[in-house]
Amino acid sequence: MAPILQIKDLQIDVKMDEEVLNVVKNINLEIGKREIYGIVGESGSGKSLTSLAIMGLLASPPLQVSKGEIFFEEDKDLLKLSSRELRKIRGNKISMIFQEPMSALDPLFTIEDQLMESLKFHTKLSKKEMKRACVKIIEKVGIPRPEQIMKEYPHQLSGGMRQRIMIAIAMLCNPKLLIADEPTTALDVTIQAQILDLMKELRDDFETSILMITHDLGVIAETCQRVAVMYAGEIVEETDVVSLFHRPKHPYTKGLLKSMVGDRSDALYSIPGKVPSVEQMPKGCRFVTRCPEAMDICEKVSPDDLEVADNHRCKCWLYQKEMANHV
Amino acid sequence: MSETLLKVEALEKFFPVKAGIFKRTKGYVKAVNDVSFEVKAKETLSLVGESGCGKSTLGRSILRILEPTGGKVLFNDKNILDYSKQDLRKMRRDMQLVFQDPYSSLNPRMTVRELVSEPLYTHFSISKMEADQRVDEILEKVGLPLEHSKRYPHQFSGGQRQRISIARALVLKPKLVVADEPVSALDVSIQAQILKLLVDLQEEFDLTYLFISHDLNVVKHISDRVGVMYLGKIMELADTEALYEEPLHPYTKALLSAVPTSDPLVKKERIILKGDVPSPTDPPSGCPFHQRCPLAEEKCQNVLPEFVQVRPKHWVACHLVEQ
Repeated sequence: MAPILQIKDLQIDVKMDEEVLNVVKNINLEIGKREIYGIVGESGSGKSLTSLAIMGLLASPPLQVSKGEIFFEEDKDLLKLSSRELRKIRGNKISMIFQEPMSALDPLFTIEDQLMESLKFHTKLSKKEMKRACVKIIEKVGIPRPEQIMKEYPHQLSGGMRQRIMIAIAMLCNPKLLIADEPTTALDVTIQAQILDLMKELRDDFETSILMITHDLGVIAETCQRVAVMYAGEIVEETDVVSLFHRPKHPYTKGLLKSMVGDRSDALYSIPGKVPSVEQMPKGCRFVTRCPEAMDICEKVSPDDLEVADNHRCKCWLYQKEMANHV
Repeated sequence: MSETLLKVEALEKFFPVKAGIFKRTKGYVKAVNDVSFEVKAKETLSLVGESGCGKSTLGRSILRILEPTGGKVLFNDKNILDYSKQDLRKMRRDMQLVFQDPYSSLNPRMTVRELVSEPLYTHFSISKMEADQRVDEILEKVGLPLEHSKRYPHQFSGGQRQRISIARALVLKPKLVVADEPVSALDVSIQAQILKLLVDLQEEFDLTYLFISHDLNVVKHISDRVGVMYLGKIMELADTEALYEEPLHPYTKALLSAVPTSDPLVKKERIILKGDVPSPTDPPSGCPFHQRCPLAEEKCQNVLPEFVQVRPKHWVACHLVEQ
């Protein structure tokens, strides 16, 4: 089946006064139809930048896409579209929801105004039809009394309700791809469970693919089929969700899984050190400073992104050496 | 382990809601409503709950950072609510607080050494040399390199800043530490580092923790006992194992079932709660949880359930749990 979105060799740089620093590198991924694809990583790993690049929303300058292609529905390279063409796709075929629903909604407009805005731009419906579509979508996201809610302002709603409204706005035009950037991070667990449930339901009803960006491996385990683990701007491992949790390959993924506090072993595990800053990126593998299994070569040369098992990619010298020995 | 360090009795913190041009009190937000529990010396008691359940207000009321409106807080058998300001200040040496946000709780104009020595100068008349020595000691204990003591907070990452906050609290050698969401603002791999540090320090300094968190996974790891709060009340309190293995209150069950799994192959039986937490200005009659409770009966709508011991060391406030 043809993928909805295909990212090839994406690289994002930040231009400082004199020098150009690399923040995201070698991103390759494919999102299939009706798939929920997860990107997991700590803060500063470049997961949000990647999603902004897809939407053409990178703050440029200083950020810029310096390499790569992003194909949407097979043939359109999003990076080559004019801003006018991009506006037609954004909010229509690809839409996005953000972490903090309060700052993403305009406090001066009613919920109705904010829902209608995207319909006015993307469709030629009459006012009556638009209103009917809004009521329908609000019901769909599980909010009672839609007519009344539409007259209210964002501050009158709770966090969970606001996130539902965000999702309603994103789903209005029946998008092919929904990018969800930490959609439940600001919410309580019981509300998080409601929202994740809703997203799965919408995926089934609207046949939308979802790109789920999160730092929470629990959210990944709950919702995703495929996962990419990002560290310091690179994808270090990419596979289906079951393999990732049961047969992780990369030392970073292993560490992340072990430091997931909770049901696992009793002793608390933590990855020593912290993510290197952009200015001090190691020359070889970017994880080398914190890796328990680091070797000499890791410091010097960056490993390739290799297929280490069926549908399982990993960027680590441990497996490349194995490969070399086999040959 | 049997000595009681802190005893909270029927503690209340009501915030008045004022309205109209004369700012007349129209009602109260019952942020903490008739809460009682005990913390034993050297144990870790955790309070969990969703945002707005009053867990932070409770923590602050115990330290009298917010003045409680009713009840008693007994620390070493003395009611600290009767204390004068001077006495209270002396008392605070023994009770310290670690805040959630290491970005806003540290003065950006002070170096690490100034930050950590400040409480020493406030509480003791101490020479600079002595203070420096104690700061060095505690920095080493929390894992901050000494050469960083001349730096300012903005030069540190979130995890490092939280270490500074912890050093600030522990430099006084307190008995009780109230930790209000100390790891919520941190990344997963850093969270584990800080939790481990807290556990190590507890052993070394014989600390007692009152740990406040919304994250059930974090709490499970470090607590001896856990209390679950909802709308200003404790709904269930039990040993950690009992609470996680055999939760009795429907709210605890729902809360536990909502925690995401750490294994995609395990499909949890999930209780999805309807709606949001009701506003504490206008709490429901009867059991505060009855509107969202999947098992609510008629009695729950009218009668407030009492917080009773139903099993050894296991308290619940629910009509449906049999003694």
